[in-house]
Amino acid sequence: MIPKHAIEKYGTLFAGLVLFAFLMVFAENFASTANLLNVLKQVSFLMVLSIGFTFALIASELDLSFANVCSLSAVVIGSLMQAAYPWPLAVSAGLAMGLFAGLLNGYLVTYLKVPSLISTLGTASVANGLAFMITGGVAFVGRWDPDFLFLGRGKIGPVPVIILFTLAIVALSFFLSTQTKTGIHLQATGENEEAARRSGINTRKSKILGLALSGLAAGLTAVFLVANLSSAAPQMAGDFLLNGIAATLLGMTMFTPAKPNILGTIVGALIIVVLSNGLVLLGAQYYIQDIMLGIIIVASVAVSASVLKRAAFAL
Amino acid sequence: MPVKISTRNIYKNYGAVEALRGVSIDIHEGEVHAICGDNGAGKSTLIKVLAGVEMPDRGEVVIDGAPCRFTTPTESLKAGLATIHQDLAVAARMSIYENIFMGAELTKNVLGIRMLDKKKMRQDAAGYMSQLNKSITDMNIKVEELSGGQRQAVAICRALRWNANIVILDEPTAALGVRETEQVLELVRSLKQSGKTVILISHSMKDVVAVADRVSILRNGQNQIDLLAADLSADRLSHYILSGEVEQVQA
Amino acid sequence: MNRFKTLMGAAAVLGAALISGQAAAFDLGIVAFQMSAETHARCSNTAEARAKEFGWDTQVLNSNGSLQTHAEQIENLIQKKVDGMVLCMSKPVQFDAQFQDAKDAGIPVITISSGSSPHTLFDVQPNEFVVGAEAAVYLLGTIDFEGGILAQRFESNAGARIRGIMLDVVLAENPTVTVVGSHSMARTKSWQDDVRNGMSALILQKAGQYKGIWASFDGQAFIIDDLLIESGMKKGDVSLVSIDGGQEVFRRIKSPDSMMTATVAVPLEDMATAAVDSMKAIAVDGKKKEEMVAGPYLFKPAILVDANNVDQYLN
Ligand SMILES: Nc1ncnc2c1ncn2[C@@H]1O[C@H](COP(=O)(O)OP(=O)(O)OP(=O)(O)O)[C@@H](O)[C@H]1O
Ligand SMILES: [Mg+2]
Repeated sequence: MIPKHAIEKYGTLFAGLVLFAFLMVFAENFASTANLLNVLKQVSFLMVLSIGFTFALIASELDLSFANVCSLSAVVIGSLMQAAYPWPLAVSAGLAMGLFAGLLNGYLVTYLKVPSLISTLGTASVANGLAFMITGGVAFVGRWDPDFLFLGRGKIGPVPVIILFTLAIVALSFFLSTQTKTGIHLQATGENEEAARRSGINTRKSKILGLALSGLAAGLTAVFLVANLSSAAPQMAGDFLLNGIAATLLGMTMFTPAKPNILGTIVGALIIVVLSNGLVLLGAQYYIQDIMLGIIIVASVAVSASVLKRAAFAL
Repeated sequence: MPVKISTRNIYKNYGAVEALRGVSIDIHEGEVHAICGDNGAGKSTLIKVLAGVEMPDRGEVVIDGAPCRFTTPTESLKAGLATIHQDLAVAARMSIYENIFMGAELTKNVLGIRMLDKKKMRQDAAGYMSQLNKSITDMNIKVEELSGGQRQAVAICRALRWNANIVILDEPTAALGVRETEQVLELVRSLKQSGKTVILISHSMKDVVAVADRVSILRNGQNQIDLLAADLSADRLSHYILSGEVEQVQA
Repeated sequence: MNRFKTLMGAAAVLGAALISGQAAAFDLGIVAFQMSAETHARCSNTAEARAKEFGWDTQVLNSNGSLQTHAEQIENLIQKKVDGMVLCMSKPVQFDAQFQDAKDAGIPVITISSGSSPHTLFDVQPNEFVVGAEAAVYLLGTIDFEGGILAQRFESNAGARIRGIMLDVVLAENPTVTVVGSHSMARTKSWQDDVRNGMSALILQKAGQYKGIWASFDGQAFIIDDLLIESGMKKGDVSLVSIDGGQEVFRRIKSPDSMMTATVAVPLEDMATAAVDSMKAIAVDGKKKEEMVAGPYLFKPAILVDANNVDQYLN
């Protein structure tokens, strides 16, 4: 008999491995090096974005603005690239935009005491409006500086550079969240804010940090997206809202059950992207993908609903 | 024993509610000082002032003769006060050692980076716990899996970890069974034995007379009665709390 | 337990997908940019039907309007090593990298209404400039080149934007016609609400000042038509002209209650069929691309449908 806690901790991971094995056997070309690199590149965007969302959720703040903030950052980058500014400036502006949005959310939550569910929805709407204001609804498209595009499309040997960036971000995030005081303070704040405060933890700082990291991750993802697609559109990251939340929720069914955790989010994002890649290789029609994602979301929410409720309604 | 900590004429209003109206209590070093009073008397509010959770409107806290003003819990902790609040304030889904070291985690230097020293925290936590509760050895267990008494032990270990000279317990036995209550009282005694000053809040007269050296009775935000606990019976104490009066001899 | 149910579900769906996707015929990947738009669905459905007539394996994917998803689906089809790809309403510059990869992998790509790329075989389209000019001239004709019109624009989509530009060109030559009110649809996700809100305001405000209404695509025109009907207008009170075609618009043109006057029907079915036929000729029958289409475009002329010829097209 497998002990119950092992199923709780590793059940989803095991299911992911079964999926992987299944695809290796049944999906032609799935296990090819080219495809595995392809999958790793594709997962990069979702992974970075949902790691940000996870940081906020660890501090028990729900950041529903990350996708729109990502789109806004993308549009900021796109507008500067289109106007032929040097790319490091465009990239910095995109990152700064994301970070600023995250800090704004942090300020709204901690100083103005607006619950994150509401304040981030507000930020999301403002970000969306600004993105349309900047673009006039028309996407920025161009054949931009190859050095810039290299950030999204470049390869070192057969390995897309974006995978290397993501690996670094993943390692840093994992380290920060599990091996540092900052990380454990983030967690303590999310788990019991009053207890954390009374233990001398600056909970306000933790909350701002969680939301700021979410914003920064949105800015980073924007850089990757714009460089990968050589374009920027006002709602280009819209789809990531659901997938990012799904990756995080799926992650909450792993390792430290019912708690948002970086490692879980990483595996969650991988499962989602492996699944969508695998479904294409298996020849499945498009609607299957939506159905599968829906099942994943519902199932993982069912497991981790209480935490989400707490973050959403500050229960 | 000299006076370790005093409150001097502390006032605290919550809007129109006058929770504290000039509380002045002297607490002697190395003693267990109980604070009693009916619901709403202001006991927890006084504790919150001492713990830096609430700021008094007027009055001051004096420690070892020096006036202090706590604006955050951190400042109170740094001044040597560790408070175990009525609600324990533990993070249920975090482990024992994470709770014990919350806000004061141990770190080690790895290649110039300050990393959490989890191994040392687990070891030290086990050391603290063994002083209080021998039955728990795995410091990775989540606090939500512990009994009320065991959680109390975790909260007290956190106070021990701060190495505080003054330990404040707000109704530590309120929800506990007979055996667990006895464990907590034993903890209080051992704290006292190790030279700590203990402030104990309790509605249980039996517990108070069992461990306290002195008792202060709060009533409507004022300390009406301060007395020595020696030879005090639980019934007499109840009577004082209800009547708010005491025979002159005892003061 | 939940996890195991999910896993079982996943295995079942994957298994079903696998069985439906076997055999060794020509493997065609079809990607529609946004299936929820009728034109995209018509395009991909026709292409799929045609490919099935050839006995091909076809897989239809939907990018849900997301640039990144579209890029990933093309990448996944490349990894699947499909024999050819037909893309509906794709974009040339944004997916430059993916098209290049497809070319490098020896996979022929034909796009529909997407714009030409050096890495694809060619693009099948009606030439939006011609289509836009036709609709604009027709609308002005119905109001005798005099008076006011309302315009419902859509800037985010290249095709719709071009139609708007052509309207402006025609208007510039006919200063006796003025645009008394114009609304630009911004959002792509809840665009129906956007159009309804924007146009209902204009219809009320500008009542009596306009004789014609121009909409950048038929979907917008339907919403406007419904608003006009709600406001009590009768056929002939105002002339409503748009672009795209399809059974719904033909039905409205025919209907005595509708304001719909004419549409420039884009021959999506012809275009999609031509794309698949060309794919067969080139990739299966070994014809040279140049023999089929010499340049970057295969133009399929659009047809103006009004009361005169609507019966011909209405099923
Ligand atoms: N945060 C607050 N806001 C408003 N009023 C408060 C607040 N905290 C306490 N009070 C009021 O202050 C008074 C003293 O409350 P306090 O909690 O100090 O009493 P207590 O002696 O600890 O009571 P108990 O024995 O029930 O724990 C009460 O009237 C209470 O309603
Ligand atoms: Mg109390």
